[in-house]
Amino acid sequence: MNVTPYRIILCDGTACINSGARALATALREQLERHGLTEQVTIGLSGCLGMCDKGPILVVNPGYTIYGRVTEKDIPEIVQEHLVKGQPIARLAIQEDHLYNRFFRVFGDAKFFGKQMRITLRNCGIIDPENIDDYLSLRGYEALAKAVGEMTPEQVVAEVEKSGLRGRGGAGFPTGRKWKLTAAEKATPKYVICNADEGDPGAFMDRSAIEGDPHTVVEGMAIGAYAIGASQGFIYIRAEYPLAIRRIRRAIDDARAHGLLGQNILGSNFSFDIEIRLGAGAFVCGEETALIHSVEGARGMPRPRPPYPAVAGLYGQPTVINNVETWANIPVIILDGANWFRTVGTETSKGTKVFALAGKVVNTGLIEVPMGTTLREIIYDVGGGIPSGKCFKSVQTGGPSGGCLPEQYLDTPIDYESLVKAGSIMGSGGMIVIDEDSCMVDVARFFLEFTQDESCGKCTPCREGTKRMLEILTRITDGKGQPGDIEKLERLGGMIRKSSLCGLGQSAPNPVLSTIKNFRPEYEEHIHEKKCRAKVCKSLLHYEIIEKCVGCGACRRVCPVGAITGAAKSRHTIDQDKCVRCGLCFNTCKFEAIAKA
Amino acid sequence: MPTPLELIRKKRAEAVGRIIGKGYLSTKRVYVGMATCEIAAGSKDVMDVFQKAVSRGLTDVYLSQKGCAGRCNLEPTVEVIEAGKSPVKYGRVDRERAQQIIDRHLKNGEIIQEWVID
Repeated sequence: MNVTPYRIILCDGTACINSGARALATALREQLERHGLTEQVTIGLSGCLGMCDKGPILVVNPGYTIYGRVTEKDIPEIVQEHLVKGQPIARLAIQEDHLYNRFFRVFGDAKFFGKQMRITLRNCGIIDPENIDDYLSLRGYEALAKAVGEMTPEQVVAEVEKSGLRGRGGAGFPTGRKWKLTAAEKATPKYVICNADEGDPGAFMDRSAIEGDPHTVVEGMAIGAYAIGASQGFIYIRAEYPLAIRRIRRAIDDARAHGLLGQNILGSNFSFDIEIRLGAGAFVCGEETALIHSVEGARGMPRPRPPYPAVAGLYGQPTVINNVETWANIPVIILDGANWFRTVGTETSKGTKVFALAGKVVNTGLIEVPMGTTLREIIYDVGGGIPSGKCFKSVQTGGPSGGCLPEQYLDTPIDYESLVKAGSIMGSGGMIVIDEDSCMVDVARFFLEFTQDESCGKCTPCREGTKRMLEILTRITDGKGQPGDIEKLERLGGMIRKSSLCGLGQSAPNPVLSTIKNFRPEYEEHIHEKKCRAKVCKSLLHYEIIEKCVGCGACRRVCPVGAITGAAKSRHTIDQDKCVRCGLCFNTCKFEAIAKA
Repeated sequence: MPTPLELIRKKRAEAVGRIIGKGYLSTKRVYVGMATCEIAAGSKDVMDVFQKAVSRGLTDVYLSQKGCAGRCNLEPTVEVIEAGKSPVKYGRVDRERAQQIIDRHLKNGEIIQEWVID
């Protein structure tokens, strides 16, 4: 018997599990055995596929046939008819052309991808981003057409509000409410802005989203402009992203050529166009008021709020400013509906979140998962765990403004509130996994060095406070920490948090305060015992040559300061006074004869 | 006067027509990752190999670039999609692997398992 190799994917989301998905797997295995198909048919599990009301969901590939409300007694029929005879069963198949998770059709059968659910990145990696035809063929700009053709601006705002979408830039302000406030303003003109000034170290969500599917952002902005009554939009993107800039520019030009931007879009009374503004790479320009100043041509510095941009934003006019990821959700909300969107996520946080998963994890990458997914699922199921058998130590979320969470928080479901409760923040989506080889004091120092460097200098707490904190941290990692330093850091951090002008300063102490809270013994060891348990802080470690030394002389030749001596074929020694702890000898030795202590 | 939705559906149909005109219905569709990260990992070389093969007469293949799928540590990635078969995703493709994908998979239908992302 010649059978196509099939792959069956069972939705392993909570709703499907509750409606009996796991029993299906058992039934399926039995039937496959009965038909002798265990070789040709493989079974995989996916994360929530977003069809919770039709669960349990079972997908048969190739062909991407989706079966819904599958029961155990349907299994023999699926195996007999579909897998053996190659006849999909119309009675059970779900015929839906939803926008969300299109990505799954190509990538869903691979473990790393199948555990994800993609709304904003739905087209990333499956279409040519520089060809508007590819986007149009996947119902591109249909959401815009639906909005301008069949909905009033108020209905669009209401739909977004009902969806529960919250700003993906970090603070999580309800997008619908922001739109409603701006729409209610009488002053004209109004503006919409896309914040693509991604500056967190190690974050690349916005870049990838724009490079992979620029039209989604353009369409989302056009819908937002229609909703609030704006006719001009700006995309603020950093000049360090040349390819993303080229693709978004191309997308705007192509959309204009198709009458999807410009005067009387799709024959309606709505006119809207987008301009690009390049940022020079200042981190503070990701803060909305600083960004607005920068678009205006002024120096990128924040100002106190209120008034919020919804009232007085760009050129003093009502302005909606949203992040790339937020805009990319809009077409899906309009076409697949707020009611559907609300089914994904947690009570307070709806939809999905994109993360740039990096650091000490097997599968580094760009991921999108439903809100409510736990940190453990992200790191171990999607990320594949920690490489080279090392132990997990901490996960850092929210970039330089976020906190470091230890193992006991791994079961925290990702949403805006739970992360804050655990002592970190959602941020824009950086996620760095840290293993036992990293020193938490050093990690905190690294992030603070970044924010201190990027502080714009306008307000004293941020300008001076971060500088002083950095001095203390540097002193601790240099082995010169003093009793009382931890308390000083806590006091300073608390003050900076409370009294800084903008989000940069208010969140800058987070990495320090969260590492003190969760890894206090490491700080204490640095200060009192002059010891760095991860053996990272150079001033606190020394190198020794142990018995394994065969006297080959490789370390002696590589030492830049001549600190190593010894005769050929006999054990060498390191002069600790001369040693600068560069680690070259450690890396050079082939006999593991040099020990870090 | 057609409604916006009618207009966009017409545009969609035209777009599909243009894509088919470019050979979308070829037996095999090949997507090469061309985001900044993929390019940094060497995908321009990979694209070059496929483009040369097409210009030298490799037929029945629709070649396209694509954005980042998110699998950073296995880039550059290439997908081979064929109607009626599960999409094949290759990782860490370089010039050599690209040539092998052309010779073994595109021309002979052999899936090179050891490079498949699963």
